[in-house]
Amino acid sequence: MPIGAYYLVAAIMFATGLVGVLVRRNLIVLFMCVELMLNAVNLTLVAAARMWGGADGQVFVFFVIVVAAAEVVVGLALIVNIFFRRGTLDVDAQHLLEH
Amino acid sequence: MTSLPLLAQAATGSTSEVVLFVVFAGIAIGAGIAMVAMRNIVHGALMLVINLLALAGLYLLLQTTFLSIVQVIVYAGAIMVLFLFVIMLLGIDRDDLLVDVGPVSRSVALLAGVGMVAILGWGIIGPYTSAASVCDPDAPVVRSADTQSCVGMDALLADADAGSVEIVANDLFTRWTFPFEASALLLIVATIGAMLLGRRHDTDPDDDPAWVPSMRLPDVGDGAPAVQPGSPEVDERDPATAAPDDAPEHAPGTAPDDEPVTVGGDPAAGVAEDPGDATDVPDGRDA
Repeated sequence: MPIGAYYLVAAIMFATGLVGVLVRRNLIVLFMCVELMLNAVNLTLVAAARMWGGADGQVFVFFVIVVAAAEVVVGLALIVNIFFRRGTLDVDAQHLLEH
Repeated sequence: MTSLPLLAQAATGSTSEVVLFVVFAGIAIGAGIAMVAMRNIVHGALMLVINLLALAGLYLLLQTTFLSIVQVIVYAGAIMVLFLFVIMLLGIDRDDLLVDVGPVSRSVALLAGVGMVAILGWGIIGPYTSAASVCDPDAPVVRSADTQSCVGMDALLADADAGSVEIVANDLFTRWTFPFEASALLLIVATIGAMLLGRRHDTDPDDDPAWVPSMRLPDVGDGAPAVQPGSPEVDERDPATAAPDDAPEHAPGTAPDDEPVTVGGDPAAGVAEDPGDATDVPDGRDA
């Protein structure tokens, strides 16, 4: 397959995650859509690493996975705290900083 | 606009790669769209697991064995289990938590997604759809301004005894050593941050004067009459305030009694209880 096919799959996955972030209002679903976008970028990096015959793209994907794991740990702890304090995960209901 | 040349050149590559690519790409895209469209969050998380596993298959097709295994273990294993654990811990399958935006915003978002795919396909994916960008180890590598030729991982993999693991490790532990150590520090900081965020939010008994008799001893003489027995907040703290000598037995017992009420009941109760504690303690100390 041409490398562009992998790029196309990654672009469709990224757009799917983007639409999910725009459409859904649940914090956890938003978080999962961000994970989907991160994975789309990972697929692009791996395909580019094969295209150019280097290992830098794979190393970068490794770092992206590490950062995503750290982000998920902290983000889910924040989500649990928000749910216990506010009783909802609706992003439109989180307006504590408005006033 | 790029799908037609893609489909035309799909037959030029190796047949098994094409078949596996179509299968894994279809599963990945379908599961991604299903995750966004699912009403049930648990089903959406499981769709994301399927998406990540299909991505691991695509990594295998791209001769990236190490990242494929990491994808299965870290993403589909650890991270998604964390997601499912939080979803089921919070019990957020209720209907009032599944509100979505209106139809106008939905169509605008859909338009933005389609436009994004069109822009990426036109501007970025376009140069990589020619026959030269098919990764064929026998084909000569041709580079020019308008046609990009695939180099492939075969030259690197031929030198590596341990395959993709050795390729990644060679770069990771020589050229990228400092970012590697920084990522270790990042993981530790994230773990400590999650522990701090996940701890209980009632006052630490060591910091609360009402629970520690040694901090209350000067107040005992005139502090006890100042406590109003009819006040509802004072009744909860009654063993600790009225009788300081049995406070060590009762003070640890009151904390677990308060905790299920705060967590399981109305979440506003937990917020409303904190000012009660804050006003209760200075009353006992001032009087």
